[in-house]
Amino acid sequence: MNWHIDGMGGLDGAGDGRRPSGRAQRALVRVLLALRGEATRCGAKSRDRARAEALADRIMLELPRSVLPLGIAAAVIVSVVCTMPLVRDAVAPADAGAVPVSSVVERGIRENGAALSDGLGALREIVAPFAAETAPIEEPSALAPPANAAAPFSRS
Amino acid sequence: MLDARTEKLTIERARRGDRDAIAELIEAYQRPLEAFLFRLCGKHELAEDIAQEAFVRVIKSLHRFDDQYRFSTWLFTIGKRLLVNAQQKMKPVAESELVEFRAGESKTPLCEVELAERGQRIAKLVTLAVDSLVSPQREIVLLFHQQGWSVQRISEELKMPEGTIKSHLFRARRRMLFAIEQSGVSNPNEVFQ
Repeated sequence: MNWHIDGMGGLDGAGDGRRPSGRAQRALVRVLLALRGEATRCGAKSRDRARAEALADRIMLELPRSVLPLGIAAAVIVSVVCTMPLVRDAVAPADAGAVPVSSVVERGIRENGAALSDGLGALREIVAPFAAETAPIEEPSALAPPANAAAPFSRS
Repeated sequence: MLDARTEKLTIERARRGDRDAIAELIEAYQRPLEAFLFRLCGKHELAEDIAQEAFVRVIKSLHRFDDQYRFSTWLFTIGKRLLVNAQQKMKPVAESELVEFRAGESKTPLCEVELAERGQRIAKLVTLAVDSLVSPQREIVLLFHQQGWSVQRISEELKMPEGTIKSHLFRARRRMLFAIEQSGVSNPNEVFQ
């Protein structure tokens, strides 16, 4: 505590120019120490802790749900939805009415394949009449055999 | 009070929703904040309520907290604003430069536990000294002497030059000194025993 109290009279409207007594100065020092103690004293720690815990619980209740639990919940839902058909396949032998997913997929491919084959067949049927009416292919003209097959070059 | 590093780590944990970290922050600052608010308003229950509300708001907004500042500075600023708002709602109080000293009369009764802990006479004298202060002297004295903030930190918080803060501290101490003098304190050692 380092401040001067001499010559304070008349300043700030406090005091009448008298020098404060030593008692008052010592009392002020004690007051300031007591003031400091209000913020730092560590009595009733358990009570402070209990109050802090209660307030923390209240704040946690009011806090918005964090993103992480939502993400985890979404991942679980997606996983369940995606694995359900596989689970059904696994359970299928016990339940005769259920159609395995693999069969469903295979059937789908076959149906699509059949449709594709049908399309090609239809195209062939359309094209077939035109194919029958094509112009006769000219016979290649017969080439006269060389006079001298053994001597293709004119004699010099 | 937490040191800067611990405070930062605790805030990081609190941001992730760690309930224990939130409790640690509250435990570290609730008493200083309540003491500060109590000395500003003079009502223990109000100070406690405002402190709780300040914690709720601050922790809900932790994602907006800038790490380059001290958490306590932010917390105290919000606490002070909430107190001002509450006081304005309750009753408009025109602050007067004329301070009436009430020696031997406590305007701000402490709760029974505190009275038992500290003694009625000490509480009266502290109240007397603090009540003799006007704004912004009271706030500056509380931040400096009660909370242990540096002049520089108070200067940044209140947006006043450091010289002005020192001047307010000097005048505030003198005011308190004369308030104590006028109260007719007989023997300070006896009072504080």
